[in-house]
Formats: sequence, structure tokens, C-alpha cells
Amino acid sequence: MIRSLDDVSRIAGEKGPKKLAVLAPEDEEFMLAVKRSWEAGHIEPVLIGNSEKMEKLGEKVGFDISRFERIIESDRQRISDLGIGMLFSGKLSIVSKGQIPTAYVYRSIIRAEGKAASGMTVSVVSFWEIPGLGHLTAFTDTGVSIMPDYKTKVDILRNAVFLYHLLGYKKPRIAAISGQRKFGGTLDSYRDYKLLRKAADAGEFGECEVVHATSFAEIFLGPRGRLRDYRDIDLAKMPHIILVPRLDTGNILCKLDFFLDVTRCSIAVTSRGAVCIPSRADFSDSIVTELAMGVVVADRLEKEVR
Amino acid sequence: MAGTFAGIIDAARKKAVKRRLAISSMKKPDLEIISRAAREGLVVPLLVGDGKAAEALVKKSHLASLEHEIMDVKDSGGSLRAAVALVREGRADMLMRGADDLKTFMNTVLDAKTGLLKDKLASYISVFQLPKSDKLVLVTDTFVNNYPGVTEKQLILEQAIKLAALLGIEAPKVAVLAAIEQVNPSIPSTLDAAVLSKMSERKQFGNAVVEGPLDIDCALSHVAAERKGLKSVVTGNVDIYLVPEIESGYLLAQALVFVGKMGMAGVLMGVTKPVILNLPFVSRENRLVEIALASLI
Repeated sequence: MIRSLDDVSRIAGEKGPKKLAVLAPEDEEFMLAVKRSWEAGHIEPVLIGNSEKMEKLGEKVGFDISRFERIIESDRQRISDLGIGMLFSGKLSIVSKGQIPTAYVYRSIIRAEGKAASGMTVSVVSFWEIPGLGHLTAFTDTGVSIMPDYKTKVDILRNAVFLYHLLGYKKPRIAAISGQRKFGGTLDSYRDYKLLRKAADAGEFGECEVVHATSFAEIFLGPRGRLRDYRDIDLAKMPHIILVPRLDTGNILCKLDFFLDVTRCSIAVTSRGAVCIPSRADFSDSIVTELAMGVVVADRLEKEVR
Repeated sequence: MAGTFAGIIDAARKKAVKRRLAISSMKKPDLEIISRAAREGLVVPLLVGDGKAAEALVKKSHLASLEHEIMDVKDSGGSLRAAVALVREGRADMLMRGADDLKTFMNTVLDAKTGLLKDKLASYISVFQLPKSDKLVLVTDTFVNNYPGVTEKQLILEQAIKLAALLGIEAPKVAVLAAIEQVNPSIPSTLDAAVLSKMSERKQFGNAVVEGPLDIDCALSHVAAERKGLKSVVTGNVDIYLVPEIESGYLLAQALVFVGKMGMAGVLMGVTKPVILNLPFVSRENRLVEIALASLI
């Protein structure tokens, strides 16, 4: 079981290098991350983007990009379509977003899934490594579905459970969180939680458990507990998967790594492999980890398919 | 006022007139904090409920030797209504929830005719003290409104700006949060944020500078915002975070408490007198801050 991002980096070193397309590495942090991931033996990059920008940045970070396959393209949507097209045609095993708005990438993936008639709901899983916790926690969906209905949540949860099983978690614990309070009526997200819990109990998602809690207070204090002292908070109670009710919530929570002592890395789950989704604001350390996670997931997916 | 919880308690302590705090149906765990608030000179407690039970509790506590009052009301529903009436009629200055269940308490307090609602809506503001700095940040609305539209968000923001001013933040920088920092018609929160931001440009929020939509990374980090091509005085220096709806607000506040272990004290705004909800995720220590904060409003 992969317990930490150190595990992820170690395994990426063992299983790499894997061919990875980078969509618009047109920012110093992204190019630096590609360089470091290549040096660590994680990836063999295919660079797709504006020639002049990529060359300039390569020089700036001391990375000779002439030895790698380069596809010259400046149009954002075209860049994204090219990379995702390579993933879906089996030419490479991983794609990573570079300095390009995420919407282009999701659009390419959704179109490619449509063409492939996979029936797959695309979703993003954002992992958190919390120091001392001993397992990874992930928020989903943090990227695609703006206000998912119950059926979409089922698909999102299936993707996340599949990913956790790939990472070696036999029975991931899931919290389907909600803004439900003891006041304010019943929210759809709370109704969905109840249905998801039933579905999980019935084995609809494979081996997993939806916990009896819909907020962090309930996760850490139980249904009737109250916080006395911060020292009483036992972070080990943090679930493996946190299903968020909507995109706003997911994005706000998962990017708290800019403030809290946690490290984030995000992966989009597609029918053909992993797409790393670093934020355009991420720094190279964090991007290197995201690429390593992509390598590990791609490696395990290959084994799964075999 | 110093931008810390200690500063809030200090300021409350220095108030010349002690505020009368009505507590409906006090329970044993509340006694300790109420006694402490009385001992610190923040409030004079006024316990509303079963008089004999209250006396028995008080007798065994530090409160016995401190100024306090007990108002005997036999049935529990009656004690809440009586406590609200005391506050409404000016015989008490603030209200705190005791053993009443949250739903009953909120419905009673927010009743347009017999409750304490002043504005068109109330909102709950979570005040956080940033670790290792003398800065308070406000997150709103984290408890009351489920899915406010832009009209409601305007009111919620005005209430937060009012609280910020009380805390000494005269020209607050406001981040209107959404999933992304670009305006996307498919994501309603980004549209609301853009409207509020435009209203701020036209000075409809006074000296407050409102920026939105902002995703949380841009709100938290000036560098992150610049990397996304966004330049604003708000990014990386936010005083007020306005969340898109309750799912985000309620859960963000709790994530900061339980994962970030950040001190949080909350206050209900939009009511005629301060109201303390006594929520379970406010720590024992920070409940004193809530009482102090309420006494300053």
C-alpha cells in the first residue's frame, strides 16, 4: 500500500521512465519540474507547446530539450487535443497539464472519451499527504463536474475507489461530505450520502466503506461530540477518500495546501490512463510529485490491463 | 484592536459596562466557560431555565461567588422563548444557546416577528486567528444560508464588512471564492463573484476591496495569483473570504479547525443583539473568545 508521496517517488524511480506528454511547459516551474522528473528517471517527456517559449525556458533552467520529441503548437485547445489524442491512441501512458487552463484539458478528455464510447465519467482525484498520517487522503471530484447528481457521484466514487485499489488500499474509507447541519433543511448532498452509503454496503463500489459522517466535525468528533481541545483531534480518523458535493467545495478544500501543512497532487482518471493535473500556480516540487504519481498510476494500470 | 483572539478578550475586558448574557437551558459543560467569562469580567450571566437545577449547578461552580442571575422558567421551550424575549426587550444584551437543539434555537432566534432578526437575513461568520501572526481573517457564511444568490451574498458581505470594522479592519480586502479564477457562465459562483467585484469597483461596499472570482490558491498566495496572470492587492492578503454556498463554507471552516488546527470563534450577524450559537466545533478555549467577541458588537 502506498502510504506517502515518498513511496510514490520511490516507485516512480523504480518503474520509470515512462513516456509523458507535457501540455505547454511554458513556465519556468513546469519546465524545471520536467527536467527534475527526467533526471530522476521518472519520465521521458514529449513537449507540446510554443517552440520559442519552450526553448527559452529550457535554456533558463539548464535543460537541453533538443533530445526530446517536441510538437510545436501554440493554440491551447490544439495542444491539449494533441496530448490527449496520443494518450488515447496508446502512443504514451501519461499526460500532464502544463501552463494551460484546465478547461482545455477536460474538454479534450471528454471528447476523446466520447469518441472511444467508453461511457466513462471523467473525474479528478486530488491527493493530500498529511504529515504523520500514514495514509493518503484524497478529495474528488475536484476538477470536472460542477454540480454532480447522484448518478455522477456514483461514477466519481467508482473512479476514486478504483484508483485507491490500484494504490494498494484494500478497503478505502470514504466520507461523502455535505453542508448538512442540524438546521436549514435537507440538502441534496445529504440525500446522496445516504444513498451512497447504502450502495457501498450493497457492494456497488467493490471493497470500501462509506463512513457514518458528513462533515469534518462528525468525522473527528462523532455525531454528538464536541471539540474540547485541539490536542484531542486524532488525524488518523481522516478518511481515505472524501467525496465533495460540488466543484466549488472540492477546489476550495483541496487547494488548502497553499496554507496548511499538506502536500497535494491531482490526477484525472480516464479510461486510457492518467492525466496529471497540476495547478497553474503549483511550484516545481509539487509538480514533480504529481508527475511521479502519474508514473505510478500508469504502471499499475498497465499491469491491471495485462 | 489587536488582530488576535487575546486582543478581542482584552478589548472586551476593558469595556466599562459589563454585558448581560442570557443563556437558555444551560447545561453542565457550559458552566465552566460561563464562569470563566464572568470571572474575566466579560459578562454578567443570566441563566434562564429550571431555577432549581440551575442553582444546584451554580452552587458547585466558581460562578456561585460571582455576579449572576437565575430566571426560573419551567419548560425548556419556554426558557428559550423567555431568553429571546429578555434580549429583545433589552433586559439582556446578548444570547447564548445552552441545551436547546440547534434547529429550535435558530428558528426561534430568526423568527421575523418574535425573534431577533434585524436584516433580511442573518449570517454566521467564522473568525480565525492566523497561526504565527497578528491577523484575524473572516470566513462567511459558514452556517446559516444554504445557497445564497447574489442579492443575499451582498448582504452577507455587508455584515462581514461591519464585523471587520469592529475588529479594526477599516478597508478589508475581500476574496469572493469560487472553483476557478475566471468568469465561467457554467459556474454560477463565478458570476456572483464577478458582480460583487464590479459593485466594489463602484464603491458599493465603501472602502472594502472585493476581488472575485478567486480560487483559493490565488486568494491565499500573491505569487500563485501572479502565475495565473492575476494582479490584485487582495491576493495573498485577504481579510474576508466570502464562500459560494454552505457546502463550501461549513466544510472549509471545519477543515481549517480539524486539519489546520486553527483557532475559530463564530458570531451571528444580521440580528438585533449578539447571538452565540455554541457550535460543537468551537473549542473550549475559543468559546471564551466568542463571548468576548459578542460583547464587543
